[in-house]
Amino acid sequence: MISLGFRTLLAKEVRRFLRVPGQTLGSPLVQTALYFLVFGWSLGARLRDVDGVPYARFIVPGLVLMGVILNSYLNSASSLFVMKLQGTVIDILVSPLSYAEILGAFVLAAALRGVLVGAITFAVAGAFTGFEVAHPAAALALVALVAVTFAGLGVASAIWAQTFEQVNFFPTFVIMPLTFLGGVFSSVRMLPRPLAVATRLDPIFYMVDGVRAAMLGVSDASPLAAAALVAALAAAALGLAYGLLRSGWRLRG
Amino acid sequence: MDEPVVEIRGLVKRYGDLTALGGVDLAIRAGEIFALLGPNGAGKTTLISIVAGLARATAGEVRVLGRDVVRDYRETRRAIGLVPQEINFDPFFTVEEALRFQAGYFGVRLGEARLAELLEVLDLTAKRRASARALSGGMRRRLLVAKALVHEPRILFLDEPTAGVDVELRRSLWAYVRTLRARGTTVVLTTHYLEEAEALADRVGVIDHGRLLLVEETAALLARSGGRSLEEVYVDLVGRRQAVAR
Repeated sequence: MISLGFRTLLAKEVRRFLRVPGQTLGSPLVQTALYFLVFGWSLGARLRDVDGVPYARFIVPGLVLMGVILNSYLNSASSLFVMKLQGTVIDILVSPLSYAEILGAFVLAAALRGVLVGAITFAVAGAFTGFEVAHPAAALALVALVAVTFAGLGVASAIWAQTFEQVNFFPTFVIMPLTFLGGVFSSVRMLPRPLAVATRLDPIFYMVDGVRAAMLGVSDASPLAAAALVAALAAAALGLAYGLLRSGWRLRG
Repeated sequence: MDEPVVEIRGLVKRYGDLTALGGVDLAIRAGEIFALLGPNGAGKTTLISIVAGLARATAGEVRVLGRDVVRDYRETRRAIGLVPQEINFDPFFTVEEALRFQAGYFGVRLGEARLAELLEVLDLTAKRRASARALSGGMRRRLLVAKALVHEPRILFLDEPTAGVDVELRRSLWAYVRTLRARGTTVVLTTHYLEEAEALADRVGVIDHGRLLLVEETAALLARSGGRSLEEVYVDLVGRRQAVAR
């Protein structure tokens, strides 16, 4: 049974990001829309189709996933970190909420924001490139798993972080480089060999490629292998966040 | 009045080389007001933080209503309300939302009557729909008290509840603490104001350098102190210990 405590924390976390829609939903939308306009339309007009898919359409799954990844991470990381900073984390630490309930509420709320940003991005891009999706259920499942993965990492990062700089370290120095390297804007077959090898070592490549397979029906890697990897990463991220939460490290004195 | 609701045995808390609590034994009785006194850094906040689940003990055992605070944390935390020393607030939400969320975390649906009572008692009715950001310092402290009481805890911990609070609010908080005691709530408060402990507490405990120096009925302590105030007794006790330590 879903407890009132869990539902309350989830509702509070969702309400928190809905209170500032310009910052949490509008800003990422503008950002990804600009990527779409610059890469998809300006450059796309000069590029050939990729695997039979127009370039502007080819980059949509990656742009959707980029919004999902960044916003899932930022929501849980910033919310929990700010609670630590303000001292309001006490409210949940003294409550009878279980560790799983606390983690579940933060992760679900953050994943919801990520999926919402992804959906808005898809709606804007779809207006130009069409709304056809090859395997909608698989696409949604993969996007949700990716959102859960980065929401879990956001919780872990907020527990670890002691400064805002540390909260921003992961998106700036890890997520963004791996996302750009991860095939958002190109097929791995378009890359020179050293970069192609590096791309295949990047876990975000398998996320983007899996979602692209589900949305467009074209992929560089095996879609099943990508799904298995994404599921394993989601489990690892949740396990890490749960372990840290349970240990009380940097939360309970 | 004699059954302990909180039992602390051999409680030790170390932060690296610093021993914040050096083996504390204490029993809090049901329905009493217990004041924990001590200088800054004596271990008062550490002690109540461990009981409330905000900190973990290095060694020892704490039981609330007969249950272990680590193993049975869900049950023990339902019985406890904590007003922390540091004022905190979430600027995203109103006073009413803050109270409804806090009740929800404890699995309690906050009814309109209970909400209205808490707002009334803590003089926050006019601020019901105000953002916590718009409250004065005293109001924010009252909101913390309301949040701690929202699930009707059997044991209320007040960590320096009247620090930086004006005289009028202090008196009204004292009156409300007495009301809570009359309703059967056990109250444990830490305070620097010895006048506060003398006016409110059934028993006082004095802690210094992580060790309990004294636990006694307030009336009995004052009676055997030859007409001295609690402040004089406290200064004598802590001052003597600090002199020995030097």
